[in-house]
Parts: sequence; structure tokens; C-alpha cells
Amino acid sequence: MIISPRVKKLREESLNAVEKLSPERALLMTQFYKSDEAHGLSAPVLRAKAFKYLLSNKKLYIGDGELIVGERGPAPKETSTYPEISLHSLKDLEILDTREKVSFRVDAEVKAIYEKEIIPFWKGKSNRDRIMNLMSPEWLNAYNAGLFTEFQEQRAPGHTVLGYKMFSTGFLKLKQEISETISGLDWTGDPQAFEKHEELLAMNITCDAIIIYANRYADEIDMLAKEEKDQSRKKELAKMAAVCRKVPANAPENVHEMLQHYWFIHLGVITELNPWDSFNPGRLDQHLYRVYKKEKEEGTLSDEDLFDLLGCFWVKFNNHPAPPKMGVTASESSTYTDFCLINLGGVKPDGTDAVNEMTYILLDVIREMRILQPSSMVQISRKNPDRFIHKALDIIKTGFGQPSCFNTEAIIQELLRQGKNIVDARNGGSSGCVETGAFGTEAYWLTGYFNLPKVLELTLNNGFDSRTNIQVGLKTGFAQDYSSFDELMAAFKAQVNYLIDIKIRGNNVIMKTFANWLPVPFLSLLVEDCIQNGKDYNNGGARYNTTYIQGVGLGSITDILTSVRYNIYDRKRFSWKELLTATEADFKGYEQIQHDLIYDTPKYGNDDDYADQHAVAVFEIYYDAVNGKPDSRGGIHRINMLPTTSHVYFGSVLGATADGRKASKPLSEGISPSQGVDKQGPTSVIKSASKIDHLRTGGTLLNQKFSPQFFEDEESYNCLNALIRSYFTLDGHHIQFNVVNAETLRDAQKHPELFRDLIVRVAGYSDYFNNLGEDLQNEIILRTEHENA
Amino acid sequence: MKGLIFSVKRYSIHDGPGIRVTFFMKGCPLSCWWCHNPEGISPDPESVEQIEKVGEMEFIVPKQAGEYYSPGEILVILEKEKIFIEESKGGVTFSGGEPMLQPEFLLEALRKCKSAGYHTAVDTSGYSQPENFHSIIPFTDLFLFDIKHLDNLKHLNFTGVSNELIMSNLRLLLESGKDIMIRIPVIPGINDDKEHLESLRDFILKNKSRNLKKINLLPYHRIGSSKYKKFQVPYRMDGVEVPSPSRMKELKQYFEETGIKVKIGG
Repeated sequence: MIISPRVKKLREESLNAVEKLSPERALLMTQFYKSDEAHGLSAPVLRAKAFKYLLSNKKLYIGDGELIVGERGPAPKETSTYPEISLHSLKDLEILDTREKVSFRVDAEVKAIYEKEIIPFWKGKSNRDRIMNLMSPEWLNAYNAGLFTEFQEQRAPGHTVLGYKMFSTGFLKLKQEISETISGLDWTGDPQAFEKHEELLAMNITCDAIIIYANRYADEIDMLAKEEKDQSRKKELAKMAAVCRKVPANAPENVHEMLQHYWFIHLGVITELNPWDSFNPGRLDQHLYRVYKKEKEEGTLSDEDLFDLLGCFWVKFNNHPAPPKMGVTASESSTYTDFCLINLGGVKPDGTDAVNEMTYILLDVIREMRILQPSSMVQISRKNPDRFIHKALDIIKTGFGQPSCFNTEAIIQELLRQGKNIVDARNGGSSGCVETGAFGTEAYWLTGYFNLPKVLELTLNNGFDSRTNIQVGLKTGFAQDYSSFDELMAAFKAQVNYLIDIKIRGNNVIMKTFANWLPVPFLSLLVEDCIQNGKDYNNGGARYNTTYIQGVGLGSITDILTSVRYNIYDRKRFSWKELLTATEADFKGYEQIQHDLIYDTPKYGNDDDYADQHAVAVFEIYYDAVNGKPDSRGGIHRINMLPTTSHVYFGSVLGATADGRKASKPLSEGISPSQGVDKQGPTSVIKSASKIDHLRTGGTLLNQKFSPQFFEDEESYNCLNALIRSYFTLDGHHIQFNVVNAETLRDAQKHPELFRDLIVRVAGYSDYFNNLGEDLQNEIILRTEHENA
Repeated sequence: MKGLIFSVKRYSIHDGPGIRVTFFMKGCPLSCWWCHNPEGISPDPESVEQIEKVGEMEFIVPKQAGEYYSPGEILVILEKEKIFIEESKGGVTFSGGEPMLQPEFLLEALRKCKSAGYHTAVDTSGYSQPENFHSIIPFTDLFLFDIKHLDNLKHLNFTGVSNELIMSNLRLLLESGKDIMIRIPVIPGINDDKEHLESLRDFILKNKSRNLKKINLLPYHRIGSSKYKKFQVPYRMDGVEVPSPSRMKELKQYFEETGIKVKIGG
């Protein structure tokens, strides 16, 4: 694939556009909520009418040369806010405007609008205010102490991916389905009939809204076409207008229609609310292949046109940074990335190899476009050919951090264990960072990161948090009280259970706030079986509902426990008093002890059972605490192990630890070993990481940094291929490669201006190195580089 | 019976096919000027000082270079790596130092590895009694065999030993039918002159056989004199430049004329 001048220009424009905060959505939302129309409505109908108002009135944007149209804001990278979810104060706006990393320009005019219009109306009424008022004192204490974060505090639940159905149907058809469901309502036998009726009415309104929006585009493009002097662009515009009249009202029948169809849906989802992980086309190679094949057979699509369309589509994702976050949420997920993860490969619904021509075409697009968003991954099945992996390695080796590698067989087994049927499981994949989901049929919400090493810190201090001076955990005793390692582990388990129960109680309340006050009738149209159930996505309407709490710091907690066992209980090298004196002093004056903890104590990541057994023990405790507990929308709580950037925040609230880590330094990320402690190379890391049972999670994250020489020839490729396949044979869920040398990174840190395009793998996603905070930059530099010495 | 090993490398991908575990055995009868493993020269365990940093503070810690492993312990390590070795069709490589300097241990280790089903490779300078080669041939799938210089006097000068034994062992192995890869270190000013390259090529052409699988051209690389100081070995390579990538490419093409696959690096 060669990028055409058109796509090159759009790509450059997207890269150069400055992130700005747009008040448009907040203003329209305020206008609607103030209007007479907003009174006396049920929650779903209110939200549906607000959605329709937004799509009927928001500004349209048609960029010069674009083939796929539609922006969330008035122009690329002009980013909406969601005051009904969380309201930015003037101070927040100031911080967003001036902060060094992941900033959003906020003009004086915008600040004035906020001050006069937005803040006065929404103050105290956002869902964030509601949540904070509803949480128990125990929840607030644990939250403030940094035991866990709360996903839904600034963003709505999303974590879902478009499935097969919506790529092959239009909204007129959905209206029909809705009307059939309404006529089937049992008003005498079903006490929920009224709620269902309201929800279905709301869904119907949102169908109209998205069709109105597409037709507005069609009209606008027609007008442009009339004025256009360039004959070929004129023709192009006429075609684009026709596409917008056809989709998303009707099912798409060619590549152009399918991409525009998806893009309207995507915009609908991220305009209705600000769901996590924006939204995602999922198994794009599978969906596109069907229409692509037909067009190829008919001879109606040239390769140039195909690449132009795909290039234009790719740029659209990059135009949409994640909505601006603030406070703790900004540090747990500090990035413009909005976690849209294109899935390639895997298996078909019948279980056969799904790699097709479109898979390779999209890999070419990823390589040539080389932009932050959308992110991409390859689902690797035993049934997929080696050529597929080699082609992915070709891109990975360029150091771009994409695509990441996932284990199809593990994903399917994880989903089957959770009770999905085999076809839904095969249609699944991973979204966000590494989260397993059944695409098009499941609402799998992430609710917060859980700071495992912090729980141990509390366990050593009778549940008391010295940083906030609050009794956060149970009074299980002090370090010196635990006469054996087993006693310590029993107390740790009790603390994990106690704190997880606090988090789950919070989750169950927060879910209800979304079900009751912030339903999403538009998103509900897209996920089966919300229409048939007459139930909202935010209220358990989907076929499958899963609630995740993400364990963070497995490598760190393993090293800390290993050190405690090794140095205090087994070898009796230090007493608790000596160790705690050293950690409380942050090892100042106790460097010899710190040295022994770092260099002369077993560590996770070296295929050493002595250390790794503690990873398994922590995993089992965490799993037992969370897995199987019901949530308040009819779903089940489960675990996954990923950090995004929360391991940096969680480290900042943690004192010095028994693994020799100084206070406030980042924790290990995902299930990767602590930075720099794996000394035996990638095979040992993989062996250690596969000792926990990935199949009982909804995703784990393993990051490995490689220097480019591991990718130098055919033989190296075969070895990497074997390395990945071996990890997957051991049921590993995911592995990603950061290909860059530390020297380059240090150079980039010193001369950011020379490395504007340096993308690195962070943890489950890629980011520009320049956009990362200094601490995260340092951590990435520190991660073991497996030099081929 | 135990063998003295100074390094165990997992995910070793340049010492034979696939993913391998390479055991670097301590002790070498040669003393090549360009040796990049000076810690492999002495046949005894050595104590070296290692610097371990904690923040800005440096701890100087004595470490032992060289540990004894039994053949059984070798197998335990291979078992841990088995899944990668099987998936990649890899195996185990004994390198050094000079593995043939510990013939009894090597024989026993190879025998055990072979009977456990592993592909086995021996990376050797060739400097050992022929009977040692005879006894390991049945348990070795691949030999990585160094040719450093064809001129006996120069060989003696730069490596400390004559090449007569080495060349006769090479012929012995070529006749054995076992796979062989010839490794030629490319050392500027020492063995890369036109005349020597020509005689190398002629030698290979003359001895070309079905089991000669590949020629590896190993470009000289500087490892700095610090490693030498640490092991108190004199460093005689000051001022020698690393061969450029274009020079290596040129040499690769030159040796490809023999009709044998040539690779730059291991």
C-alpha cells in the first residue's frame, strides 16, 4: 500500500491538530435540559430526546478531501465534554489548558461559556456528584488512600464492541424490531411492561436521531458538490452524499458504505455519553471481507480506492482524543488514546482459520498509517498461518508498539468458562487494553484498578494508612505480630476480601445510578439482546453482563512477599524491625539492606518457583475475593490483570517496599515482572507469567521490551513466532513487544523535539513517548532490555 | 561428574537452529587476541568484582565466574525451556571457552541430552584430541566449527596454538556426516586480507560436502578493555576498527560464490 496524497494530507492535519476543548456538546445539552421538552419524561426518553437534539443541532464538519465524514466536535481534535457525567470546574479547565502532558487548549471564550452557562446549571447535578454522595465512608477512605480507582467517576460504562449484527443491518430494520417488541409487550402479565415500553420508545427515537444526522450530512455534502469546481471531487461528493442517505438507515453493501456506517454508529455512541474505551469496530477484517470480496468479484473497487477509504477511516479515529480527564482519573489513564482496538485474525464462527486477504490489507494500512489511534492487535490461533504472525512482526519491529498479540484459544476458553455460547465466544476478542469480550453481545465493564501492594502495606500496619492517617483496612495486627508467613498471608487475604467487598458495594450502587438516571438507548440498539429484553445497556439489557475489577502490581506484590518470606521467615536475615526501619527511612542510611533486597533476593520473572509461588497465591486470593459475586444489573464480578497507567499512581501512594523499591516509585505493570528484575530472558518471563491461571481472568497484560536485533532475520522471526506460540500454548492471554533501545529513549527524553513521532508501548496501549510523564518515561527506559549480549 | 560453566544463556537464537539453551564452558587452550569471552579462558573458577548500583551508591561485590553443573542439572534447565525448544525446533548448544576441554563431562551431557530427545550442538575451536571428537560424534547433531586462520604460523601467533590438529579434526567431522557450520571471525588486519580470504574460499570449495550447511561470518566487535581488566587478561586489540556493514556484505557475497549459505553473525 502506498499512502495517497489525499490520505497523507489528512494524516498530517490530524497529527498537527491541537487538542482543544469544545463547549458545543455541553451547551446543547444544557439548552435541551432547560427546555420545556425535557420535562415530565422517563429517564430513557429524556436521554433519547437529548441525543436527538444533539444530533439535530451539532455542527457538521466535512474536511477537504475526506471520504468518510463526521466528527464528535465541531472539528478534528475539538473534544466534547459531558457535564451530566462530570463537570469541569474553572480550575480544572485551567489545569487542562496549562498542564504539560495530555493538555487541551481552553480558550477564554470557552471558559466564559463554562462560567456563565455550563457550571451554573450543572453544579451539584453531575453523576460524579451523585456517586460521591452515595459512597460509604469506608469506600471514600479506601479511594482516597489509593486502594482502588473508580472508572465511572468521570466516564460512562462502555467497554463494548460492535458485533456481526450491526455490520449487516440498518436502523430502519431496528425500528421494525422495536415496533415488533412493543406490540409483543405483555401489559397484564409483565410488571416491567411500562419500563420496557419507555426504553423501547427511547431506542426508537435514537434510531431517528442517527438517521437525521446522516441525512444532514447528505444535504450538506450535496450543497458542497453543487459548488465544487473540481469535477472529480464533485463526483466523489455526490457519491458520499448517496452513501450518507443510504447508511446507517439501511445495511451497508460495499466497503465505503460499511466504513461510513460504522463511523456514524461510532459517533453516535461517543456523543450520547463518554463511554470508556470509546467504541470499537472489533473484528474489522471479518466484517469488511464480506463486502470487499463481493466488490472485488464485481470489479467495482480498485486497490487505490480501497486504501484511500481505509486511510480516511483510520484518520477519523486519530481525530478523537479521549475526553479530558481530571484528578486521579487523569493519572490512572493519562493519555489521549481512547482505546479503540482493531482485532485481526482469530477464528470464524465455525471455528476455522479466520485470516483472510483483508487481514493482510489492514496490516498494511496499520504499517503505513503509523498513527496512535486506532490501536490494533492480532488474534493468534493455532489455526492461523505463520505468515500472519510474521507480517505482524514486520510492523512490531519498527518499534511502533502495534499490533499486540493475543491468544484466540485463551479468549474463547475464558468466554466459555463465563457461560457464553461457542459462537458468541468465537465472535469475541479483546478490546481496550486486553479485556476479553463477546463482541456485539456483552457489556463488560471495567470498574476500577485495585492496588494489591497497598493492601499488603495496610496488612503490615494493622489496617492503618500512614499517608492519609486513616484506618482504612481491618485491624488484623502489625507486621511483628505475624509469627509465620502463613499467618501474614491469612491476614492479607482478610484485608483483600474486606476491601474488595467495599469496592463491590460501591460498584453495585454506581451501576444503579447509570441504570436509573443515565440510560443509553442508542448504545442499547447495538448490543444484543437489549431490544428483545426492552432493557437498557446500562441496566443489564445485554445478553451477557460482566463487571471487572483490575488487579494491579502483581510483579511488585510477588517480589515483596517473596522478600518477606525469604529474608524474614525463611533465612531470618533481618528482623521485621530492621526491615521496617529501613523502609520507613526510604532506605536512607540503609542502602546495604536495600542492596540485599534488590540483588540478593529471588524475584518474579525468572522462572523461579520460590518467587513465582507468591504470584499464584496472590492471584488465587484476589480471584476468590472477586470472582462470582453478583453485580446489580444481573451480571457477575470477575477479575482481569491490567494497569493502563495506574501502576504509576498506585506507586505514588505507596511507601518503600521490601523488594527494595523506594517510596512513590511505580509498581510493576500488568503481570510483567518489576522493572529490571528479570535476568534470564524472555522465556523465563513467560514461564513465570504462565504460572497463574489466565483462563480464569478476563485478560492479563504482559509487556516485553526487545531491542531491534531480535527481529533481524528470518530465523529471529521464527524464534519470536515460537516464543509467542509457546506462551499461548501455556494459556497466556496477551503479549506485547516494545522494540526500542534504552539509549534511544534517553535521547528522546533529552531532545523531545527530535522524537515527536516516537511511539512506545505503555501498558496495553501505545502512546507518543513525548506525551508520557517523566516518571512513566523513566519506567519504560528501566524495563529490562533483553540485549543480545 | 561435573562441568565448569561460566554462563547459561536461554533464548539463545544464534548458536544453531531455533530457540536454544547455550552453556558456556570454562577453559580454553587458545588465547585469541580478539576473544570476546575472556572469562572463558581460565579452566578454574575465578573471583571477579561486580559493581551493583543502588541509587547513586555503588556496591562492589565479589562474584564467582564459573559454577559446576552435573549433566542432570543441565537437563533440569532444558526441561524448563522444553516448550520453547520444541515449538521452535531448537535444542542445546555447548560453547565456551572450549567445551572439548572437558571431554568426559561433555560426552555425558550430550549423551543425556540426546537420549532425552534434544537436538545437540557443539561450538568448538577444534583444538582437541581426535578421539574426543570420535566419542561425541554419535551424540552431536551439529558442530559449529571455527576457522581462524589457515596459515599455521599466523594461527600460532594470534591464537597461541598451531592449526594442524584443528584442520585434521575439521576433516574428520566433514567425513562424519554430521551437520557442520563453519564460523569465520572477521578480524581486520589479521585474517581479512585478500590472500587469506581466497585461500579460505578455496579450502571451502575443496571440502564442500552435503553436511557443510552454512558459513557464519562473525564480525569482530569491540567489547572494551574493561572486561579484560576484570579478568586480568592482556588486551591486544587497541586501534582495531570494527568491520563496516558494507564490508561484511561484500564478504558475504564473496563466500556465497562457494554455493553454501552464508550468514553475517551467528
